[in-house]
Amino acid sequence: MKGRVLTSDVLLGIAPIALMIAVWQALISFGYAPATLLPPPGQVFMRLVRQLGNNEYQQDIAATLFRLFAGFAIAVVLGVGIGLAAAASPAVNAVVRPIVRVLAPLPKVALYPALLLLLGFGHESKITLVVADALFPILLSTYYGASMVEQKLIWSAMAAGTPPRQILFKVVLPAAMPSVLTGCRIGLVISCIVVFLAEMITSTDGLGHVLVTAARTFRAVDMFVPLITISLLGLILNGLLQWLRSYLLRGFPEV
Amino acid sequence: MMSWRTLVSRLAPLLACLGLLGIWQIGALILDTDSFPTAIDALRAVPSILTDKESLINILASLRRMAIGFGVGVGLSIPLGLMMGRSRAVASFFNPLLMITYPVPKAALMPIIMLWLGVGDLAKTLVIFLGVSLPVVFHSFQGARAVEEKMLWSGAAMGLSAGQRMLRIVLPSALPEILIGCRTGLVLALITMITSEMIARQSGAGNILFNALDMGQYDTVFAMIIIVGAMGIGLDAAFEQLRKRLVRWSEPRFDLPLSFS
Repeated sequence: MKGRVLTSDVLLGIAPIALMIAVWQALISFGYAPATLLPPPGQVFMRLVRQLGNNEYQQDIAATLFRLFAGFAIAVVLGVGIGLAAAASPAVNAVVRPIVRVLAPLPKVALYPALLLLLGFGHESKITLVVADALFPILLSTYYGASMVEQKLIWSAMAAGTPPRQILFKVVLPAAMPSVLTGCRIGLVISCIVVFLAEMITSTDGLGHVLVTAARTFRAVDMFVPLITISLLGLILNGLLQWLRSYLLRGFPEV
Repeated sequence: MMSWRTLVSRLAPLLACLGLLGIWQIGALILDTDSFPTAIDALRAVPSILTDKESLINILASLRRMAIGFGVGVGLSIPLGLMMGRSRAVASFFNPLLMITYPVPKAALMPIIMLWLGVGDLAKTLVIFLGVSLPVVFHSFQGARAVEEKMLWSGAAMGLSAGQRMLRIVLPSALPEILIGCRTGLVLALITMITSEMIARQSGAGNILFNALDMGQYDTVFAMIIIVGAMGIGLDAAFEQLRKRLVRWSEPRFDLPLSFS
C-alpha cells in the first residue's frame, strides 16, 4: 500500500517536468520559437551527454566544484564555530550579534568588485564570495540550534562532571545538529548559486564561464548545458547531504 | 544604568557599522593601493552619485523593477506554497520541479531570457520574480504543513468552506513562517537585481557598479557598494518592522535576520 502511494507520488512529481519538456518541444515543433533562440530538448541533452565526456568541460566542472567545496567547507567551519561561540559566551554574543545583523542582509554580490580588487581574479576572490554568502545561514541556524538546547541536558552533563569545553562538543553540538544541518543545506544551495554567478562575472574557467562564452557567441545550446549541469550538481550534493544527515541524525526522532 | 544598557543595545547595529567602516579605513591605510580607497574617500563619493540625476534615475529604476518582481513573486508564491502545504497531491506535483530549479542561479537564466525578451525591464523583472519565488514557496509550504489539524477540524465543523479555512486559518497561522520566507526573498531580490543588471548592462545600480569597476573608478565602485549595502540593510530593517506588526501575536522566534543569501 505504502509502495503504491510512493509510486503515485513519483509519477505526479515527474508529470510537471515531463510537461515542461513537452511544451518546450512543442514550441519548436509548431514553429513558435526559432531553434536559434530555443534549441530542441533532444539536442540540448545530446550536447550535455557529449560535453560530460569532454575533457575540457570536465575541467570546468572540476574548477567549479573546487571553489564550491572550498568555500562551503570554510563557511561550515566558521559558521558552526562562531555560532557555537556566540551561543556559549555572552561576551562573544554581544560582539557577533550586531555585526551579523548588519552583514547578513547585505547583498554580498555587490562586494564582489571589492573582492576582485583586493584578491585578484583567481580562486581566492570567488571562494571568499562563496564563504561570505554561505556563512550566515549556517551561523544563524547553528546559533539558534545551540541556544535552543535543553538546559537539563547541560545540567546533567555538568552533574556528571563533564568539563565545560567538552559539554560544548559532546552535548550542545550534537543536540543542535538538526538545525546545523538545515543551515548547511541552505548554505550548499547558495554556494552553488554564488560560485556560478562569480564565474559568470569574471573567470577564465568554470561552468559560469562556459555559459557566458556561449551567450557572447549566441550559441543557445551551449547556454543550456551548464545550467542543467549546475542543477544536476546541486541535486547530487543535496542528496549526499541528505544521506549524511540521516547518518548523523540516526539517533534522533524523525525530524 | 538600565536605560544606558538599552541604549547600547539599540545602537549596537550602528556601532557595528562604524566598527566595520573603521576596520576598512585602517585596512585601506595599511594596504595603501589605488584600487582600495579608504572608507572616508568612498563615503565622500556617495553624495555625488546620489545627486547626479542620471544615476539617481538608474537606481530608482532598479528599485522599481525589484518592487514589481518581489510583489508579483510574493503574490503568486504564497497561495502556491499554502496549497502545497495542505494538499499532498499538489505538493508531490510541484516538489521535484522546485528541487531541480532551486540550485540553478536565477540570474544565470538572464542571458537566455535576454534572447527572448530583450534587455529591457521585462527580462530583469522576470528574473527577480523567479529569484524571489522559491524561498517564499518553500517557507509557505513549511508553514502551511505545520498548521494544527484540530483548528482546521473545528473550522470545518463550524461550517467554513475549504477556501475560507485556507484564508482564515491556514494563512494566519502560517504567517510567521511565510514572512521569514519573504525576508529571505527580499534579500534575494536585491542580489538578483544587481546581478541581472550586471549581465544586461543597460541601466540600473548594478550597471553603475560594474561599469565603474571596468573603468577603474574605484571611488565609485566602493561608494556604490555602500549604497547597495545600505539599501539591503534599510529594506531589511523596514521589513522587520512590518513583520513585527503583523505577527505581534506570535512569539518572535527569530530576531536576527535569517537571510539566506
